[in-house]
Amino acid sequence: MRRVFLPLFLGILFLTLQTTLLMSLPIQRIRPDIVLILTLYLGLSYPPISGGILAFFMGYLMDLFSGNVLGLYSLSRPLIFYLAQIFKDRVYLEGFLSQFLFVFLSAAVEGFLLLILFSGLNPSPLGNLYPLLFTVLLPQSFSTALITPILFPLFRRGSLFLSNPKGMRIRETG
Amino acid sequence: MDALLIELCSPFQKASTFVIKTVQGTFREYLFLVHLQKENAGLKQRIAELQKENDQMKEMAIAHERLQKLLQFREKISSSVIAAEVIGQDPSSWFKSVTLNKGEKDGVRKGMAVISAEGVIGQILKTAPDYSTVLLITDYNSAIDSIVRRTRAKAIVEGKGENRCLLKYLLRADDVVVGDIVVTSGLGGNFPKGLMVGDIKKVDKRGHGIFQHAELVPSVDLTKLEEVLVITESSLPIHEEKGKKGKKVK
Repeated sequence: MRRVFLPLFLGILFLTLQTTLLMSLPIQRIRPDIVLILTLYLGLSYPPISGGILAFFMGYLMDLFSGNVLGLYSLSRPLIFYLAQIFKDRVYLEGFLSQFLFVFLSAAVEGFLLLILFSGLNPSPLGNLYPLLFTVLLPQSFSTALITPILFPLFRRGSLFLSNPKGMRIRETG
Repeated sequence: MDALLIELCSPFQKASTFVIKTVQGTFREYLFLVHLQKENAGLKQRIAELQKENDQMKEMAIAHERLQKLLQFREKISSSVIAAEVIGQDPSSWFKSVTLNKGEKDGVRKGMAVISAEGVIGQILKTAPDYSTVLLITDYNSAIDSIVRRTRAKAIVEGKGENRCLLKYLLRADDVVVGDIVVTSGLGGNFPKGLMVGDIKKVDKRGHGIFQHAELVPSVDLTKLEEVLVITESSLPIHEEKGKKGKKVK
C-alpha cells in the first residue's frame, strides 16, 4: 500500500513545486519537469500495472492543472512510463551521462508526441509550431535531464526504504 | 656599584616588563575582540532584522499600490467582479494557464472573463468548489472576439504560446498599423466591450488572400500575475478612451 500512496503523494508534491516554486526561476523556459522524472523512475522500478496507473494519475493531474483540455498528459505519461519499462533492462543507468541522456531523450520524445497530438487534434490549424522545438522543447528537456542525477539516487534511497525499512536502518547505522 | 647593578638588572626588568605588557595587551585585545565580536554579531543580527522589516515594508507598499490600482479599476467598470489571487501557474511549458484561489463557492463559473487593471487576462476554463483555472489569452486554445480601437476593424485574438497573440481574420482592406490598440468587441458575451487586449507589434500584408496577419503583445504581463478580477456578470460596456493613432507600417 505504501508503495502506491507514497509515489502518489510525491507526485502531488512535485506538481505543487512545479506550479509554484519552479515558476519563480529567473528563466521560465528553463523549467524542469520533475513529475516526468518521477514517472520515468516509476517506469524503471515499478510493475507495469500499478506503475502504469500511477503514471496515468500523474498525467491526469498535469492535465487538471494546465490549460490543456484534450487530456494529452493522461495519454503521454503512461506511454512514457511503458517506454521506460521497455528500456529498463536494456540501458545502464548508473552514471550521470546515461541518466541525463535517458531523461533528455524521453522528455524530447514526449514533447514531440504532444506537439503532434496537439496540432493534429486541434480543430483549427495552429500554424507553424516548429519554433517551439527550440524555444520550449529543447530548454525544458535539457533542464529536466540536468537535475535527474540528483533526483534518481534520492528516489532509489526512498525505494530501498520502502521495500526494507529495517535493512535501510541497519545499513545506515553500519 | 649601585649603578652597575642597575645597569645589569635593568635589561631583564625591561624584557620582563615588555613580556608582561605584551601578554597583558594581547589578553586585553583578545577580551576586547571577544566583546567586539559579540557586539558585531548583535549588530549584524539587528541589520538583518531591519533589512527584513524594510523588505516587508517595501513589499507591502508595492502590494498596496497594486491593489489600489485594481480597486480603482474595479470602481470604474460597471460589471460585478470578484477579486482573486493567483496561486499557481501551468505545470507544463506548452500551455498557458493559472490557478486562482476562488471557485464555484464564490460564484466563479466556466467561461467567465478574467481581467486586471491593465487589460484582459483570459477566461475561466475549469472550476472546483474553492479554486479555478484560467486559460490565458496567450494559450493556443484561446480566442477572443476583438476590434482595433482606432479603425473598428474586427478580428479574433488567438494565443501564440509565448507572450504573443495573433490577430486572425483581419481583412486585408482594413487599416491596421503598428501601435494600434486592440480591445474586446463584447460580441462573445463573456467580455464586456472595450477592455484592453494589447497593442499591435507587427503587421504582415504580404502574400495572397483576403486576410492580413498581425501580431499583438498583450497589455498585461502574464508572467507576473498576482491579483486578478473575475467578471461574474457584465452589464454595460466599459467607457473607452479615445484611441491613439499608431505608427504607419512602411
